[in-house]
Amino acid sequence: MKRPLLAGVFLIAFLVSAPASETPPQLKPFERGSWQQLLRSHTGHPTIVHFWGVTCGPCKIELPLLGAFMKDHPAIDVVTISADLVPDLPGATRSMLEKANLSSAENWIFSDGFVERLRFEIDPAWQGDIPRTMLISRDGAITTIEGSADMRDVEKWSDQQLTVSR
Amino acid sequence: MIRGKVLATVVLAFWQTCAYAQMNHQHASEAACNEAVLRCASKVTPAFSPDRTLWLAWMAGGQVSVASSKDHGHSFSEPVLVTKGRLNLDWGPDARPRIVVDRNGGIALAFSIFRDNAFNGQVLYTRSMDGGKSFAELRPITAGNDSQRFEALALDTDGSVFAAWLDKRNRVPAQQRGQKYEGAGLFFAFSKDGGATYSKSRLAQDNTCECCRLGLAFAGPSRPVIVFRNIFEGGVRDHAIMTFADPATPGELHRVSQDDWQISACPHHGPSLSISTGGTYHVTWYTNGKARKGLFYARSQDGGRTFSNPLPVGRADRSPSRPYVLAGPQGTAIVWKEFDGEKTTVNLMTSHDDGMTWSTPTTIAKTTDTSDHPLLVSDGRRVFLSWMTKADGYRFQPIEDEP
Repeated sequence: MKRPLLAGVFLIAFLVSAPASETPPQLKPFERGSWQQLLRSHTGHPTIVHFWGVTCGPCKIELPLLGAFMKDHPAIDVVTISADLVPDLPGATRSMLEKANLSSAENWIFSDGFVERLRFEIDPAWQGDIPRTMLISRDGAITTIEGSADMRDVEKWSDQQLTVSR
Repeated sequence: MIRGKVLATVVLAFWQTCAYAQMNHQHASEAACNEAVLRCASKVTPAFSPDRTLWLAWMAGGQVSVASSKDHGHSFSEPVLVTKGRLNLDWGPDARPRIVVDRNGGIALAFSIFRDNAFNGQVLYTRSMDGGKSFAELRPITAGNDSQRFEALALDTDGSVFAAWLDKRNRVPAQQRGQKYEGAGLFFAFSKDGGATYSKSRLAQDNTCECCRLGLAFAGPSRPVIVFRNIFEGGVRDHAIMTFADPATPGELHRVSQDDWQISACPHHGPSLSISTGGTYHVTWYTNGKARKGLFYARSQDGGRTFSNPLPVGRADRSPSRPYVLAGPQGTAIVWKEFDGEKTTVNLMTSHDDGMTWSTPTTIAKTTDTSDHPLLVSDGRRVFLSWMTKADGYRFQPIEDEP
């Protein structure tokens, strides 16, 4: 009786930890404290954090560009955060991430109805406009791009980061 | 023994995950519960009828409901469902049901749904001719199949209803011509039968920002005025205003402020407009432009052609948001939200001289969880704050410090 249950639990654990490229995008719930956790886990790594939402027109255009960037720049950590107000749409979120070739990125979804508090933790001045991109350097310096990012600027930042590391 | 401990640990972890998922569903929602009742509403819109009955239209549990109050919100009539079953209601931050009540008790109502999986919107409307006891079958405000959202309704002095919304119908034709198309068109229609049928929809301004609420008011009989986030040259999403010559004739476009917010994004943060009986236009808005950042107020005394210098509203270090202005029977009031990292407050400032000078802001309400935009509404004698909160329910309170 116990063994099948144990096997089932391990199977679930295996599925969750399986390589992302072979599974649909995993969505981590973004809650109070998640931002600091995210920053800590990428300390010392150049990281792009991209805020977007399934109903945001400009986001639909930008997301595949970010997917292409991630493929070409394996040394840069790519994080997406779906920052729409209502987070009960993991299906649509996963589908858009998959189409944009971002399945293997670190993908989060806002999972606290008190979005003002989530945004305040990230940047007190942010009123929720998306898309929004934060470029976090190896030394922790953050550059925020409001609205659609010009990928040439992202490339330039990325080149600088990789030059510094050499 | 060891295996038993491992099993217990893993099972506990699994159980915790399931428990977390259940808790998180409630926690993640911007509503307190998932039924159609007022307590579960995420958005509540108030309107007074000429006989000073308060009417509310709200979104809750995927439905739109209406109820009325004869005692300024202390008690409400039995809610009436406008929708027949759950719909995928537009949950954009600036979306909400719109309601106007005419002198004969006729109610015109409109709201948006997401009509497909690509989040294309559709504006639906209905009306009640029996004092809110029943509502006509929902109908689309326009026949087009392109996305429509962010409708606004206003009542003219003759009882006709003016409707405006954002509509993406010009996007595909422009792209087929090989032209880049930004934003959405500002469309309008009017109803001469109290909201039973609407005129053919027409374009007032193309390429406006596609994701912000509209501010709509009347400058006088048959003269609707719309303030909206426009897309100016170079992708600058600053505010514009248009005064119609009559409900069928859009007027010239004027700029409210040169904020210089160049952004290709959805700010989800639209303006508010109110026009005093003396004809002064009062506008509040949010910007994050190069010229200024935050909430601002400006007034116009020449029918929206020119505006005063933008006056900052709220504390810049408290993330001020969602400004709403109302020129009431005895003065003008602005409310907005501030957030200090833990709690949201609604703050008020008032003017006794038609917006030339303003009182020191005071806090009039607060909550510690998510909340709807604060709105102001007047019964012709007093001004009231209408505010839906997840933690504390619906609040309707007179502005004690009324100008």
